[in-house]
Amino acid sequence: MSYFFEILSPDVIFPLFLAMTFGIFVGAMPGLTATMAVALIIPLTYYMKPIAGLAMVIGVSFTAIFAGDIPATFLRIPGTPASGAATLDGFEMCKKGKAQLALTLDLFCSAIGGIIGVLILIMIAPPLAKAALSFTNFEYFWLGIFGLSMAAVLSRGNTVKGLLSALFGLLISTIGIDVSTGYPRFTFGIMDLMDGVSFIPAMIGLFGISEVLKKLSLGEKMELPSVKVDTRLKVWEALRTMFKYKFIILRSALIGTFIGALPGSGADIAAWVSYGVEKNMARDEIGTGSPRGVIAPTSANNAAIGGSWIPALSLGLPGDSITAIVLGAMLMYGLKPGPLIFTESKELVYQLFAVAVLVQILLLPAGWIGIRVFSYLVSLRMGVVMAAVVLFSIIGSYALRNSYFDVGLMMFFGLLGYAMERINMPIAPMVLALILGRMIEDNLRVGLIKTDGSYLPFFTRPISLALFIFIVLSLAGPYIFSFVRELKKKASD
Amino acid sequence: MRRLLWIAVLVAFAFIPVLSASAWAAYPEKPVTVICPWGAGGGTDRLARFLADELSKKFGQPFTVVNKTGGAGAVGHAAGAYAPPDGYTITIVTLELATMHWMGLTDLTYEAFDYVAQVNEDPAGVTVRADAPWKTLKELLDDIKANPGKYLFSGVAAGGIWDLARIGMLHAAGIPVDAVKWIPSTTGAAQALTELLGGHIHVVTCSLAEAGPYIKSGQARALAVMADERIPAFPDVPTLKELGINWSAGTWRGVGVPKGTPEEIRKKLEDAVVEIANSEAFKKFMETNGFGIKIRRGEEFRKFVEEQDKAWKTVLELGGYLKKK
Repeated sequence: MSYFFEILSPDVIFPLFLAMTFGIFVGAMPGLTATMAVALIIPLTYYMKPIAGLAMVIGVSFTAIFAGDIPATFLRIPGTPASGAATLDGFEMCKKGKAQLALTLDLFCSAIGGIIGVLILIMIAPPLAKAALSFTNFEYFWLGIFGLSMAAVLSRGNTVKGLLSALFGLLISTIGIDVSTGYPRFTFGIMDLMDGVSFIPAMIGLFGISEVLKKLSLGEKMELPSVKVDTRLKVWEALRTMFKYKFIILRSALIGTFIGALPGSGADIAAWVSYGVEKNMARDEIGTGSPRGVIAPTSANNAAIGGSWIPALSLGLPGDSITAIVLGAMLMYGLKPGPLIFTESKELVYQLFAVAVLVQILLLPAGWIGIRVFSYLVSLRMGVVMAAVVLFSIIGSYALRNSYFDVGLMMFFGLLGYAMERINMPIAPMVLALILGRMIEDNLRVGLIKTDGSYLPFFTRPISLALFIFIVLSLAGPYIFSFVRELKKKASD
Repeated sequence: MRRLLWIAVLVAFAFIPVLSASAWAAYPEKPVTVICPWGAGGGTDRLARFLADELSKKFGQPFTVVNKTGGAGAVGHAAGAYAPPDGYTITIVTLELATMHWMGLTDLTYEAFDYVAQVNEDPAGVTVRADAPWKTLKELLDDIKANPGKYLFSGVAAGGIWDLARIGMLHAAGIPVDAVKWIPSTTGAAQALTELLGGHIHVVTCSLAEAGPYIKSGQARALAVMADERIPAFPDVPTLKELGINWSAGTWRGVGVPKGTPEEIRKKLEDAVVEIANSEAFKKFMETNGFGIKIRRGEEFRKFVEEQDKAWKTVLELGGYLKKK
């Protein structure tokens, strides 16, 4: 039992606390990602006990993924890629003056999503990791297609422009070295485009800079507070809403954990997929500032962080870019992630689980401080806040790979996003296509290499077939339902 | 007033030779940038940060790592090669320097650098699942000969180092290089090993350093290593040469400076890097990371890169990756 108390000793709890504070900062800064935060922290941890180092990594990753939602809600700039889906209803709620309710919901759902993810990690990691391994190109292809089909759902009511936006995103995602042949495509000899258009600068530009341009062109008063903030956290209202939508939280967290556990996808895709599932079920209400549209992606993205540890711990395989770095660090600590870790380093694994649960509880005060600080900042004059948004957008897109090219790219996408919104073309489908385009194309083509060009396994492998049927049903379902209802009505007439 | 200005300018000019002469003796007088062409948290990054830390201690000036990624390594290498040749920008150069220009990804060749020292080499392995039917490399190669086109190999994107290692091995063994299929993996060895453990592919040719954790945990097995001699971490794994196949391949990392950097500075860095590479701390660092140590001093390193450049051209041509100029 004593090793449980070890995690409460100052040399673990203090670094953990620092890491969580750092996580709030990094997550809330557009362009600084949770992955980057972990990469920065790891070298410090070599001089600590392994559990202290792992506590810092867990602390920083969960808090950063939550904190990414704060600027997403207030300013429509996702702090990390995992908050892309949180910009939709969160920002709409903020425009209606319900920012505090959105963020309170967000914070609670992040913690609950995190706990569900961690509990699944604790209880069924090894079998779930085995199941995740059965996913290969064919299954990842369908998963990507399902995510992309959300573009249609997202642009409901504006279908033609929405689909054009998605297609344009897909086109941009083909830029860069083609993995299956090694040839550069559409790079025009520009070396910085060789690995494709970097997603984070594109996203910051599309969401953040375009919003600044819109505010400027609408002639909004720059000396007024940028966001009207209701000061109190809406704890009771949030809890009531959550109780009403408890199944959405559970469903999203389960989806998030599983997608996180797949080695080929992470928290960003998890958030979009669970958002899409809810939007599909609730039809039109989500997207206009509905609490459901906040609950789904925020429960899922934190759950996905827990999920990504499932293959990492039980097989030694990275579930996302954060656990890829952690696996390297674990070797440095002298640990051997993989099936043997549960017997060889049993105590450490239990400590790790305990820390992961503790982090979810500590997320509440840490996240609360983050929300308060940010609420104060955005209540400054609009001119100040918008200038800061531009400044941090530049720093964030530069910091990613120390590249001025990416700053230019961010500006380009800012103008593009502004132009798109002017002609009433939704941005979200393009972002979705940018995230998923490569995943879909690579998996389709690599799958076809494996099968010598036969499409059959995409439909005959059991999981592939199940995913395919699920996609067809989710898209056709609403129409079939209304058709059946119509028939019944006619029959009864 | 104007005369005063002139005097000031003249005095400033007078100091220039003094300053620049002492610059070499006193190098480094200001912080040094260490360019890592690969992302934060990866193997090359960990090595870069370790070296930077040790160099900072040694010289009493901060050596800061800057990750300049993109273009499959081309962006960082170019940034390092075209930086001012004053010793204040050094680059962790990696094997891609000898392959990417042949593929038409960049105009940059190994000749754009002066070489400080090589510190690492990790040979490719031939790794299969623990429950795979082949007990030796010969069984695997015979099976491939009998069933051309049946088996799937992976490790990296098309034209990457482990793909080239595979091509070279098959060629040296007298097997057509298209007798197996190469499954490109977007994120490198980790993704290929995931596919291997999931049973979706048959063989991974990434380095034994990368496959090491899975071999040690009993999930995978190494049939051979593509090195001249057996490697200390896996003494039981035979080399290709022992098995009668004349082929070695692997990845390597070292330190380079832009061409034209003053020899005094290059030499000073060379001595420092070699001293670090011989230290106990470095040995321990490399062992925990599963990296192999290989030290080549400046001139020897330059020759090695030159040979590599020629060797990879042949292999790239075999694989159909050579860009015709």
